[in-house]
Amino acid sequence: MNRNNEPSKSGADAVIDAYKKDIDVTLIRENLRLTVDQRFQQLMKLQEFAEELRQAGRKASRTSD
Amino acid sequence: MTDFGALLRLLTQNRVEFIIVGGAAATAHGSARLTLDLDIVYKRDTSNIGRLVDALSSVQPYLRGAPPGLPFDWSVETLRKGLNFTLITNVGALDLLGEIAGGGGYDQLVSETITIEVAGVNCLCINLEGLIKVKRVAGRPKDLETVAELEQILSETQREA
Repeated sequence: MNRNNEPSKSGADAVIDAYKKDIDVTLIRENLRLTVDQRFQQLMKLQEFAEELRQAGRKASRTSD
Repeated sequence: MTDFGALLRLLTQNRVEFIIVGGAAATAHGSARLTLDLDIVYKRDTSNIGRLVDALSSVQPYLRGAPPGLPFDWSVETLRKGLNFTLITNVGALDLLGEIAGGGGYDQLVSETITIEVAGVNCLCINLEGLIKVKRVAGRPKDLETVAELEQILSETQREA
């Protein structure tokens, strides 16, 4: 128990609570409006974009050498 | 890039018994986080392992991160001798898990699943509460970050219900 007579949170709970402060709930709400299939299609588009960014980063670091 | 639809179709069309877990399961439940591979828990009986080997042989599974040229025999015998395999295939990254911490194997986990439809096929996926539980047990910083989002999703879905 803590000073307010509430159950003490575990270390993991404290970390989870800290992460929750940075969660963009609007993104979650948008995702929940999609079908499961649409969520996977969106994930694959995100993967493609992430790969494009990685390639652009590699190209930029080569040209700056 | 991992073609989730292609992998799920191969597994389902070959009647492989499996459960989607990990980041792909989080996506199914509405997570906005990027995941690069498909994690599945597969049933460990010999007939299911046989179907799994048949299902994936066309996409040439190989150990992810292993040096090129390292011999890897994609066979029932190999899968029976091991438990968890991190693979790369022609259609993306796939983790085959015989069991997961906090969830056990297929038979223990199957009661904590929902059926989802992806790419025209129906698959079992760990339910939101089960996913939160196993991510908490995994306990790495990235898992706890995912738990934070999943708990937010849970409260959003409960709010809408």
